[in-house]
Amino acid sequence: MKIVVIGGTGLIGSKVVEKLRQLGHQVIVGSPNTGINTITGEGLAEAMKGTDVVIDLANSPSFDDNAVMEFFRTAGKNLLASALNAGVKHHIAVSIVNADKITDSGYMRAKVVQENIIKESGVPYTIIRSTQFLEFLAGIANSGTQGSESHVSGAQFQPIAAEDVSVFVTQVALSAPINGYIEIAGPERSTMAEFVGRYLYYMNDPRKVVSDNNTRYFGALLSENALVPLGLAKMGGINFDKWMKGQGVKS
Amino acid sequence: MRDQLHSATTRNERDILLDLGQDLTRVREKNDLIILLTERMKTYFYFCHASVSLIGQQDNTFSAFLLDNTYSPLLKYPGYAKLVSAKYPLTGILQAVLQAEGPILYLLEEIVNQPMIPAFVPVYYEAGIKEVLIMKLMNEEKPIGFFHVYSDTAGSFSTEFRNLVQFIAPQISSAISNIIKNDEILKEKNEKSFLLDFSEGIATVKTKSELEDAVSNALRKLTGLRGYIILKINDDGLTMGSFLYDTSVPIPDMDELNALVSTSFPINDGLQSRVLDSQIPLLFSVELEIRRGIQSAYLHYWKKLGFKTMVGLRLRHGDTNLGILWLNIEEINIELLQGVCSQISIAMANIIANEQVIVKQAEQTFLLDFSCEIARVRTKADLEAAIFKVLDKILHAKVAMITVIADDGYNLVRFMFDETLFDHAREVYDEMLGKQFTIEETYNAKVLSSEDGLVFNVEEEAMSGNALAALWQTTGLKNAYSLPLRVGDRNIGTIWLLANHLSQLILRGIAAQISIAIANIQANEKLQNYKKQLENENLYLKEQISNIYNFSEIIGNGAEMQEVYRLMSLVANSATTVLVLGETGTGKELIARAIHNASPRKDKLMVKVNCAALPANLVESELFGHERGAFTGAIDRRIGKFELANQSTLFLDEVGELPLEAQSKLLRAIQEREVERVGGKQIIKVDVRLVVATNRNLEEEVKAGRFRADLYFRLNVFPIMLPPLRNRTEDIEALTLFFVEKYSRNSGRIIRKVTPGVIQQLRSYSWPGNVRELEHLIERSVLLTTNSTLQEVYIPTNHLLSERSENKEQFNRTLDEVDRTYIIGVLKRCRGKISGHGGAAAILDIPGNTLHSKMRKLGVTKTDYFSKE
Repeated sequence: MKIVVIGGTGLIGSKVVEKLRQLGHQVIVGSPNTGINTITGEGLAEAMKGTDVVIDLANSPSFDDNAVMEFFRTAGKNLLASALNAGVKHHIAVSIVNADKITDSGYMRAKVVQENIIKESGVPYTIIRSTQFLEFLAGIANSGTQGSESHVSGAQFQPIAAEDVSVFVTQVALSAPINGYIEIAGPERSTMAEFVGRYLYYMNDPRKVVSDNNTRYFGALLSENALVPLGLAKMGGINFDKWMKGQGVKS
Repeated sequence: MRDQLHSATTRNERDILLDLGQDLTRVREKNDLIILLTERMKTYFYFCHASVSLIGQQDNTFSAFLLDNTYSPLLKYPGYAKLVSAKYPLTGILQAVLQAEGPILYLLEEIVNQPMIPAFVPVYYEAGIKEVLIMKLMNEEKPIGFFHVYSDTAGSFSTEFRNLVQFIAPQISSAISNIIKNDEILKEKNEKSFLLDFSEGIATVKTKSELEDAVSNALRKLTGLRGYIILKINDDGLTMGSFLYDTSVPIPDMDELNALVSTSFPINDGLQSRVLDSQIPLLFSVELEIRRGIQSAYLHYWKKLGFKTMVGLRLRHGDTNLGILWLNIEEINIELLQGVCSQISIAMANIIANEQVIVKQAEQTFLLDFSCEIARVRTKADLEAAIFKVLDKILHAKVAMITVIADDGYNLVRFMFDETLFDHAREVYDEMLGKQFTIEETYNAKVLSSEDGLVFNVEEEAMSGNALAALWQTTGLKNAYSLPLRVGDRNIGTIWLLANHLSQLILRGIAAQISIAIANIQANEKLQNYKKQLENENLYLKEQISNIYNFSEIIGNGAEMQEVYRLMSLVANSATTVLVLGETGTGKELIARAIHNASPRKDKLMVKVNCAALPANLVESELFGHERGAFTGAIDRRIGKFELANQSTLFLDEVGELPLEAQSKLLRAIQEREVERVGGKQIIKVDVRLVVATNRNLEEEVKAGRFRADLYFRLNVFPIMLPPLRNRTEDIEALTLFFVEKYSRNSGRIIRKVTPGVIQQLRSYSWPGNVRELEHLIERSVLLTTNSTLQEVYIPTNHLLSERSENKEQFNRTLDEVDRTYIIGVLKRCRGKISGHGGAAAILDIPGNTLHSKMRKLGVTKTDYFSKE
C-alpha cells in the first residue's frame, strides 16, 4: 500500500514510518522538511496521488489558542480536501481521550475541530483517541515547577508509551476504516502527580511534586477522570518501569 | 617501492583533486559536472561511465540525478527513459553502501539475481557492465545520494581509484548541493519573472477580452498546461457560469461547447464547492470524480477532451469568492498558481466592478432619457406613448397596469393598462373592467405599504391561482414588479411592470418619473378646471360691468332714506333674506349692493339675476345650472347662479316676475340650501344669501295666484321699503346736482350751476319714474344746455305713466275714472270673468247685467283687462 504519514518525522510518526516500511509498504514521509506542507498545500497533491492510507500525526508548531485552532483547521481542511480528491481509502488521525469534554482548553477545542473536519470530509476514517504519552512527563513536571516544587494535578492519569501508540497506529493503518473512534491508553492508572513524582525520582530530580488540583493542563482545570478513558480502551504493553528502562536513567 | 607508489599515488591524487577543484568551480550546468569528472578521472584510470543519484527524503528511495549522456552503454536501450525517471527503494546493496564509510564494489554477476535489486542493474549486466563502485554522498551529516562508477572490465577499480572516489565524494556532494540550490534559485527566478510578466500583462486589463488575451498569453508559458477555463459566480450567488476559456483547445463538438458556455452550474454540484472552500489548489482526477457520481456536464466534457487531471483554484478578492480557475495540468506549483490566481482575481474584480459601473451608467442614461420623455408629458396619451416608447422598446418591459388612488383616497382607478395583454383573454378583460380595486385589496395594500415595491414570480403567482398572473404569463416575461407611485410621502397609485429583470435603480427611477408625470397630469386637469371656472366668472363679470349702475353711493339724507339706512345696517351683517320693495327706478339694486358690501360676504362678487329679463324656459337653467345634454342646446355643462353665488350674495331682481315652476325650485333652494342642476343627479350644497327685489305688491300677487304664498313668506323676512322720489323732495336738489355733475363730465360740458327755478320745477313734479326718471331727465337737459348754467329742464307734460301707478291716489280724477280703473282691476283678477261664481260682478256685489252696462258706459273693453301690465 501507499501510505502517507503527515508528521512522519515526529515522535510517533518516525516510529510508524519505520514499522510500515519494515512491513514493505511504500511510505511517504510528510513534513515541511520533506516538501509536504499541509498549511501551504505544497507537495500535498503530488504526495496524495495513488495513496491508500493517510495518517495525520502532525502537531501545531505553536500552542497559543488561536494558532492551534488555525493550524488544525487549515491543515485538516487542506489535507482532507486533497485526500478526498485523490480517492484515499482510509484517513487516520491521533486525537486525545475526552478531547470534546475538556472545553476549557483551546488545544482540546482545536483537536475537536480537526476530528469534525475528518468526520465531515467524506473520506473513510478512523480517529485514535489516545491518553497522554509517557514522554510528556518531563514537560508536565517543568510546566508545574514553582521553585523547588513541581505542582501537578491530582487527576487520574493513564499515560501510554509513544512506542505503543505507534504500534496501534500501524495496526489501524493496516485495518479497514471504522468511521469512528478507538481509544488507546497505557497499562497503568494512577494520578498525574504520582506519575510525575515517580519520573522525577527515577531521574534523580530533586524537585518535589505537589499534588495540586488547581494546576491547569493545557489551559484546563482537570476533573478526576478528565484524562482517562471512560469506556473500553485498548491498552499498550509498556508500563512505566519498562518505559523508564528504555530511557537510560541519568546518574 | 610501496612508499614510492604511495607517494606517486598521493601526488596523483593531489593533482587530480586540485584539477577537479578547479573544474568544479567552473561547473554551471549539472551535466557538465559528470562529464568533467568522467574525463578528468579517465586520464588516470579506466572505467566506462559514472553517474550520480539522489535520495528522496519523502519515501526513502533514490533516483537518477546526473547522467552520462556520452558514454553510458544504455543510451540506445528502449527503456532508458523509464529507468532514468524511476525511483528505487533503498534496500539491499544500497543499505550496505549507506553503512560503509568508503565506496563499495559490487560485481554485477553476483548481485544481479538478488531479490529487490534495482531494475537498472540487470540492464547494465546485459549491456556488458561487470563492476560498479558506489559511494554515498553526504551533506550536513545526512546521506543525500550516491556516486556510481561503472566498468566493463573486471578489476578496474584499484585501491587508488577507490581512495580517489572517497576523497572526491565531499566535493561532489557540495557541487551537487550547489546545483540543487542553483536549480531552486533559477526556478524561483523563473516563477518570479513569469508572475512579473503576467502582472504587467494584466495590469492594463480593462475588459474581459483583454483579460482573456493576458491569461492565454501567460498560461501558455506554463509547462504541461493543456487547457483552462475560468468560471464566475453568478449574481444569484448559487450558480457559476463560464467567464472565459482556452480557445486553443480543440473542440470535439461545437454545440456541446456552446451549451456548456451558456449553462449555469450549481455551486454545490459536489465539485465546485470543494474548490471554493479550499485555500489551496486542489488536484482532481476526472475519472475519479465521475466515478464518485458527479453529474456536472463540464466534467464529462473534460473527459471527452481527454483531460485526466484538473487543478481547481478559487479566485478570491478580499473575502469574496469570485469564481474558479480550472487548469488541465498534472502537477501543482502552489506559489506560482496562487500568484496567477491572485492576479486574475484582481483583474476579474475590476472587470466586474467596471461592468457594474457601465450597467449603472447605462441605467442612469436610460433614466435621464426617460425623464426627458416624461418631462414633455402633459396628457395621459402622451404618457402612454412615452412609456411604450421607452419601456417596451428599450427595456423589454411591459406596463401591465397603472392605478391611481381616487380623490376619496380609497378606491383605485385604472389609469392605464396594456390592452395587448388581453388580446387573447377578453373575458378576463371584461371581468377586470367590472372589478373595482381599492387600496385595501391584498396585492395593492402590500405594494402600497412597501418601501421599494415587490417582485412576484409570474410562474409562482400563476400556480397560486392569481388570475392576472395567467395573463402575465402570456408575455413570457418572468417577473412582475409592482411599485407604489409616490409624490413626496403621499401614495398616489401603483404601477405593475412585467420584465425578466429590472434593477432596483431602474425600478425606483421609473416609478418616481411616472409618479411625477401622473401628478402633473392630475394637476394639469385641475388647472384646466380652475381655468374654465375663472373664464366663466370673468365672462359673467364682463356682462355685469355693463349693467351696473355707476354710482357708488346712495344720495339722499331725507327722513325716509334715514329709515332705509337704519334697516340696512341692522340686517347687513346677518345672512337673512332681504326683500327690497319700491317703485320702479327707486334704486333697489343699489340697496342690494350696499347690503352685500356691508356684509361679511363683501369679498366675493354679488351675483345678480334679473328674473324679468329671462325667458321662462331658461330661468331654471340660469339659476341652477344644467348638465351637458340636459336639454336641446345644452351643449356644455353650465354652472347656475346659485352655485356661482356660493358663499356670496345672490340678488334676484324683479322676483315677482318669476314663473311658478321656478318659484317652487327657488323655495326648495332657500329651504334646503342645496340645488340640483337641470338634468343632473348630483345635489350641490350652497351657502347663499338672498336679496330679492320687486316693484310689485307681492301680497297682491299672492292673492292673484301668481306668486306662491310659501315663497312670499320665505322672502318677506326683512322687507325694506324704498320711498318714491316724490316723497323725498328734500333729496331732489342733491340728486340733481349729482347727475348734473356726472353727465356734464360725461358730455364734456362745464355746468356749474342749476337755477333755483329748475330745482323748484323738479320738486313739484310727481316723478312716476323716480330717481331713474330724474337721472334721464337731467341727462337730456344737460345735453340740451348750451352754457354753464342749467336753466331749463324738460319735464314731460303727458302723465301717462302716473296713471299706471294704480295704487297711488292723487285725488285728481273724476269718479268715472275711478270706477273704470277699479272695474278693470277686478276683471283682471277674475281673469275676465264677469258674472257667475268667482266673477267680477260677485266681487263688486252688483248684478252681472249692471256690470255689463257700466262697462259699456265707461268704455271698458276686453283689451283693457286682458292686457298685460
